Amino acid sequence: MSTVEYELGKHPGPPELERVEVDPITMRVLGGAFHAIAKEMSGVLFRMSYSSIIRESEDLGAGIFDAQGRELCESDSTPMHIGSLPWYIRGFMRHLEGKIVEGDVIIHNHPYYGASHSPDIAVAVPIFWDGELQGFAAVTAHVLDVGGSFPGINADAFDMYAEAKIYDGLRWYQAGELNEDLDRMVFDNVRTETMNRGDMNAMMAACQLGRDRMLRLYERYGVDTVMSAAYDWMDYSEAMLREQIRALPDGEYTAPTGWLDDDARNRDVRLRIETKVIVDGDEITIDLTGSNAEVPTGYNVPFEGSLLVGAYYAVRTILLDEVTFPEHVPQNDGVFRPVKVIAPKGTIYNPTFPRACFSRFCQVQRVVDNTILALADALPEGVTAGNSAGIHFCAYSGFSEEMGEYWLYLEVNEGAYGGRFGKDAMDSVDNLMANTRNNPIEELDLRFPIRCDQYELRPEPAAPGRWRGGIGIIRRNRFLVDGVYSCEGDRQTDPPRGIFGGWDGLVASCRKNPDTAQQEILPAKVTGVPFAAGEFIEFREPNAAGYGDPLDRPPDAVREDVLDDFTTIALARDAYGVVFGDERTLEIDAAATEALRGELRKSRSVTSLTEYFAAELPRSTKPVSIAGNAEFGMT
Amino acid sequence: MKRIGVDVGGTFTDLIYVDDEAGVIRVHKLPTTPDDPSQGTIQGVKELAAEAGAEPSSLDQVFHGTTIATNIVIEHTGARVGMLTTEGYRDILHIARHKKPLNFSNYQDLPWQAYPVVRRRYRLTVPERVTGDGAVLVPLDEERAREQVRALKEAGVEAVCVCFLFSFLNPNHERRVAEIVREEFPEAFLSVSSEVLPQYREYERFSTVGLNAYVGPKVASYVARLGEELEALGLRSGLHLMTSASGVATSEAAIRRPVNLLMSGPVAGVVGGIWAGKQAGYDNVITLDVGGTSADIGLAQEGRLRMKHLLDTKVGPYQAMIPMVDVDTIGAGGGSIAYVDAGGIYRVGPRSAGAVPGPAAYGRGGTQATATDAMVNLGWLLPEAFLGGGMSLDGEKARAAFADGPAAALGMSVEEASMGAVQILTHSMVQSIEENSVRKGFDPRDFALVAEGGAGPVFAVPIAIEVGTPNVVVPPHPGIAAAMGLVATDMVYEYGATTYQRLSKLDAASLQSRFEELEAQAAAQLEEDGIEADRIVIQRIAEARYLGQGYELRVDVGSGAIDETWVERLRADFHDIHEREYSRRFEESDIEVPNIRVRGIGLMPELSTPEVRTGDASADHALRHEGEAWFLVEGSLEQVPTRYYDREALEAGNRLVGPAIVNQYDSTTVIPPGVEAHVDRFGNIVIEVGASAAAGAAATVTANEGV
Repeated sequence: MSTVEYELGKHPGPPELERVEVDPITMRVLGGAFHAIAKEMSGVLFRMSYSSIIRESEDLGAGIFDAQGRELCESDSTPMHIGSLPWYIRGFMRHLEGKIVEGDVIIHNHPYYGASHSPDIAVAVPIFWDGELQGFAAVTAHVLDVGGSFPGINADAFDMYAEAKIYDGLRWYQAGELNEDLDRMVFDNVRTETMNRGDMNAMMAACQLGRDRMLRLYERYGVDTVMSAAYDWMDYSEAMLREQIRALPDGEYTAPTGWLDDDARNRDVRLRIETKVIVDGDEITIDLTGSNAEVPTGYNVPFEGSLLVGAYYAVRTILLDEVTFPEHVPQNDGVFRPVKVIAPKGTIYNPTFPRACFSRFCQVQRVVDNTILALADALPEGVTAGNSAGIHFCAYSGFSEEMGEYWLYLEVNEGAYGGRFGKDAMDSVDNLMANTRNNPIEELDLRFPIRCDQYELRPEPAAPGRWRGGIGIIRRNRFLVDGVYSCEGDRQTDPPRGIFGGWDGLVASCRKNPDTAQQEILPAKVTGVPFAAGEFIEFREPNAAGYGDPLDRPPDAVREDVLDDFTTIALARDAYGVVFGDERTLEIDAAATEALRGELRKSRSVTSLTEYFAAELPRSTKPVSIAGNAEFGMT
Repeated sequence: MKRIGVDVGGTFTDLIYVDDEAGVIRVHKLPTTPDDPSQGTIQGVKELAAEAGAEPSSLDQVFHGTTIATNIVIEHTGARVGMLTTEGYRDILHIARHKKPLNFSNYQDLPWQAYPVVRRRYRLTVPERVTGDGAVLVPLDEERAREQVRALKEAGVEAVCVCFLFSFLNPNHERRVAEIVREEFPEAFLSVSSEVLPQYREYERFSTVGLNAYVGPKVASYVARLGEELEALGLRSGLHLMTSASGVATSEAAIRRPVNLLMSGPVAGVVGGIWAGKQAGYDNVITLDVGGTSADIGLAQEGRLRMKHLLDTKVGPYQAMIPMVDVDTIGAGGGSIAYVDAGGIYRVGPRSAGAVPGPAAYGRGGTQATATDAMVNLGWLLPEAFLGGGMSLDGEKARAAFADGPAAALGMSVEEASMGAVQILTHSMVQSIEENSVRKGFDPRDFALVAEGGAGPVFAVPIAIEVGTPNVVVPPHPGIAAAMGLVATDMVYEYGATTYQRLSKLDAASLQSRFEELEAQAAAQLEEDGIEADRIVIQRIAEARYLGQGYELRVDVGSGAIDETWVERLRADFHDIHEREYSRRFEESDIEVPNIRVRGIGLMPELSTPEVRTGDASADHALRHEGEAWFLVEGSLEQVPTRYYDREALEAGNRLVGPAIVNQYDSTTVIPPGVEAHVDRFGNIVIEVGASAAAGAAATVTANEGV
């Protein structure tokens, strides 16, 4: 498994195919067809699959690729998966080049050869035409367990071997025949065999469907026309993105230094993130030089399958925003080409084999957030204030005697967006590269020995700004049987940054048994923490930052915020300088407001929500929590 | 029976009168009265009845399809809604499924936050909690509930929804709070989740119930007013409305659950298409209804509608977890704008010129090139014959719009760019047909394409060639297909219950009794509607999935005793349906039945439409004009001599040889060169694409190799 010979992040360059001219109509037809195929593949995958992380949360990606891994299209599922598959394909092709035959089904999850991280398994099916390998239909999806040291999540793994079973370009099926020994090896070595089998069968079905759709296109239009159109569409996307990059003034834009909480083992040692965005003509480089050295835990980032994907996502989303940019620019190889990434070997963003890199999401999100912050001055009307840019991704598990295997529930706790030019932020939603769906409470309570005791906006108000920041959630989940809890999370010490006078946001927190005698503060990243029946966990996700000076927010808008409990009367006064003459009717005292705003403009002591709530978080004592505590004899 | 079907659309109110005994059918069309659509409806009913020489009091039934509920949602003009929900879960509607509609946008809006159905200030909580086994963890705090109801009343809300967790398992708390609302605030429109939608997944349920309250007051007052006015006309049986599932709601049911009307209009269009297909001899149809801004696409095998997947049942951006016929709407219509974007890509739609300013050819100030302008440029629409001569089109403006727009940008001639626009729209409809229907395992060669709406018959032939359907049916009145659907359908009531049964551990007795309860409800309703016993059919449906999956598929099940054979049959059918939907089956896996449904069907008399006069093969008597139009001939764009016919004058047995164009009041049928058609005895134009498909396909392939 040596990584010495492998050239990291090597793009195959321009395709060799001698292109035929494709008329404008066929161009559109095929563009639509590519998109439809990817969409259909992901639809089959999440509707057919078993685990809630795939079928409810849609933690998956699907697409069609040429034989060198150039992306023709990807599904509109979770962006973290988008753009990683090319690297999986290049990773497994170093073993399989020239060996693949019709009917093969390939599985791959090697984090040093293209995988996004080891639990995101890729299944790929080759597409042959006239005996020649044209490309792949491939999907990635997050499977519940990959046989690491702990069930589900392994933020604190010793090395890659401890985080997961590694499938390095293995042929699950060879020429249409099941590789039975491999099949047993794969499914005998995970804790959730039934779920993994159901999910991987769904993944295979999605790939086969994608392959069949492509074959139909070849048959109908001819393979040269189809592939020429595919490459023309890549050129189109590339040209559109380059034009937007060119419109930015050349230069180096630096984000404020960011800090990650810790590496999942060495507590209170924060990890540094340095981000510089270099714009040069129609190319853009994200340079992470100066960021922390790699860590001895699983909190490193696979360079290809995760970091590059993060950089592609950041640039595309800022410069070709699907709402503000007038045309739909398809996601394909073209949008990757103008983006370069520098991360020195031996840092958390480019770790050395065999460092573990199971948990990488928060670090990548921070690169996206920092890229946005770095460009604030260059593109004030296209950026957001600091985002939650973290996650608390947790695994709840236990062994079921009845099933003879583990039950395992994975949950993505969403974040919130920073304020933006001209409008308030999005609250309580998957942030930036995350775009999963939550698991219904009624689904959770019916299927797992876990009960959700609270799920709503956290009680603390939004970060003030001319356009306010988004509010995160509070969520409490209680074990109803003895079990084990693991989590990869972050953003508990370094709040989202306000811009142009907007306030910094509010950090996240995790507590075990909060507001009881058994309360315990937990770090964001923990592995294998036992929970007794009745014990529960509480998350408060960050409130993202504000955009622009809150004193410029119209008092009426502040009043509306108070009515909806997006802010408080106290914060309306302290941050927005808005004074209510009557706190019941919320009638604004215009004169007092003007006077207070004048004073605040001269001197302000606090401009961070984290500081504002430094003393203590408001308690949350809902009847369901109280009843649950009573049920299990907790006080 | 004497029946009227009335479909209220955005522009027109269409009506059909049927006298089954006398074999009489009459159609009528008048402008919709947007401020109070019941006015136009009543006026139409009066006018049509008078025209047919029937007293309104002799009508047995008025069946109504409407887009009123849809428009309230899309235009954000619903009621001020208050919500009472479980304490600790105030923001289920604000968080939704925490997923953004778009992946690559920091500037998007989350519709449920930007335009909430219930604003946060009106979402008030009540201590209570039922758990996943239906037990009470936190008893209902009735005093607190009462205070919150008073607070909502004081805040001036018009509708109240009650949405508690797990109420589908144990509705007692919701019921008690509903009583309190009735006591304290009887004038509010009340929507209770365990009544409206007793099914799991809290966001989808709350959203649906919230929408029900949001559209409730307006729809209720509209339906009540319409019902009263019809009653005042002496109508014998009450008003019935078409639901999104192509079922029927009494006006009482529609007032209680207006959310069920959300897709009423488009669904009626699909039903009308199925009927038209059947009449022309085709049980398998794909329906294509193309209007000014959008196209509705549906599919039916053996005359049966298909239902949407639970996850796809949305209205606008909002989730509405109600059974819905699988109708797909895409932004492609006569008003779709054709342009070349900054990257040189030729695009048509989804932006539309709408009715104002409309296509350039309307001469109302529009300058952008649209699909309608393309049709004028190609010579397919005769400027002077548009809307039966009621409106003339400006050919020069249509030409200029293309010449200055896409033709210049692409370096093409006006005709080439116009044909390109038609082809791009055609392809997006083809895409949608394939993605939503044909790709799910239905072979298009077994289907006929039914073309409806003003523009459906313009696009139908090239679409049929692309998709591979051998025939196109253009019904006599393509513009009133939805109203036709209303009188062509049976009365179908649907009732559902949550069961959570597993086939390996089936409690047959309990399942049997749940089915029987629902069947009794269905039968009682049909009797109340005056349907005779021999015209009542009751069907059972199991919503099933493999144990461990999250989404169900609908399986028709037998009505007999629930025994081994019954279970085996369900198992076998489910495997087949799963395989057809997802191309895989898992024989070894257990099957779960979370929900059951019962359909009560009141069979309506077979609609017998009058036959048109029989003529011979020659259609010359209907020829109104001879001119030139542009078509693709063996792949190259040519101007060829073209015959223009008058639809009203066509007779059964007439043959039409393309290039030919058939004009009628509100629609135009285009028959390209090399394609032939005939008129059947009911006046349907049946275009024989299959016979000429080889030629057509060759033409398309050539076109693909370079224009």
